Amino acid sequence: MKPRAVTSDVLLGMVPIALLIGLWQAIDSFGYAPVSLLPPPGAVILGVGIGLAAAVSPAVNAVVRPLVRVLAPLPKVALYPAMLLLLGFGHESKITLVAADALFPILLATYYGASMVEQKLIWSAMAAGTPHGQILFKVVLPAAAPSILTGCRIGLVISCIVVFLAEMITSTDGLGHVLVTAARTFQAVDMFVPLITISLLGLVLNGLLEGLRSYLLRGFPEV
Amino acid sequence: MMLLRAVVTRLAPLLACLGLLGIWQVAALILDTDSFPTALDAIRAIPAILGDKESLINILASLRRMAIGFGLAVMVSIPLGLMMGRSRGVAAFFNPLLMIIYPVPKAALMPIIMLWLGVGDVSKTLVIFLGVSLPVIYHSFEGGKAVEEKMLWSGAAMGLSAAQRMIRIVLPAALPEILTGCRTGLVLALITMVTSEMIARQSGAGNILFNALDMGQYDTVFAMIIIIGAMGIGLDAAFEKMRGRLVKWSEPRFDLPLSFS
Repeated sequence: MKPRAVTSDVLLGMVPIALLIGLWQAIDSFGYAPVSLLPPPGAVILGVGIGLAAAVSPAVNAVVRPLVRVLAPLPKVALYPAMLLLLGFGHESKITLVAADALFPILLATYYGASMVEQKLIWSAMAAGTPHGQILFKVVLPAAAPSILTGCRIGLVISCIVVFLAEMITSTDGLGHVLVTAARTFQAVDMFVPLITISLLGLVLNGLLEGLRSYLLRGFPEV
Repeated sequence: MMLLRAVVTRLAPLLACLGLLGIWQVAALILDTDSFPTALDAIRAIPAILGDKESLINILASLRRMAIGFGLAVMVSIPLGLMMGRSRGVAAFFNPLLMIIYPVPKAALMPIIMLWLGVGDVSKTLVIFLGVSLPVIYHSFEGGKAVEEKMLWSGAAMGLSAAQRMIRIVLPAALPEILTGCRTGLVLALITMVTSEMIARQSGAGNILFNALDMGQYDTVFAMIIIIGAMGIGLDAAFEKMRGRLVKWSEPRFDLPLSFS
């Protein structure tokens, strides 16, 4: 009974996520919001996947751990010129930068959450006859969900910031471009408009995700 | 066998670096374009940059600004965060403000601050200060909040004044959490440093990097990326070592950086 409840919960939980992603796509298609905000879904999938794998398998852990230790403290903005040279001035380089920046908080939070799962829960699931392969999805993933969602929130705010910076550097379009043009023409008031807009966007997205988090985690003790 | 394993664990980050450089080398050889030099070419360009007096002065100036900004931010943020953690009133006063400032891209404030304070050291240091202070305040706040009440009661029963309790009980108890915040802050300091110099092209490591990009000196671009990356990795490793010393008594914690907000 329990596993089914969890599965239907997860399915139910997928609906708002799908809606959110759809909304994102819609906003992007109309072209006002920074297009490069799209990558968080990609970064989320990658981050959660690698984080889980590292927490579950010692072999993956041995490879991922040193890589993360080296790559996480690396200032990603400094990599942007390399991405520009490789991927051009279009959306690709910005999306890669945002994905690289949003990846690590999500990955680390997933890893942390998944390695903190209580062993007793796993044992109980095994004793109840859960197949080995399903423990990951039925026990570890739900148990790590609070941590993962926190990581996603941090990653989301970071993506807002990074996309703005990237647009300031290449300055072809987007809110960052608006700020740079205003700065070049010394229009002090116009400089605040994009800044406040991006901050509001960050606040609203943060609030939305916080709401989603408390909705998804309504059954969890103290989150 | 045990020894071998210990050596491998020790060297794992180094091996990871070498592996990444190797992948870069192979990718560059396969792609074979002018704008993507091989790892060896980029490494060969490093001595030229570090040997050049002017760029060395630039990089040192960057590091100085970063150190000042980071130091000031830590000095202001830890007391503020601890006070927020201990007093409900202070927390209620500052929390909404911090929540609103949190998603503002700090480095994007640079053009505005430049208009007020000029392109000099002051505005860049201020931006670094802003970038570092938020995570440090947040983690100090969390650390201060989690201090066990019983210890404070015991302290009060033994006649410690409020200020003494703050310094002798709350600060050490919250230290592990505070240092986690400082670690995040350190990386952020480096990021804001590069970005601020990229916006106010006047001096510094970020200036060299983006000027080289504009002039199409691709070797220099990639060499600077290696230098800045090495700074980040080196500073992080050094800080981690210091943190291990300072809070040896606390339980072995998660040794990967947790949040990079």
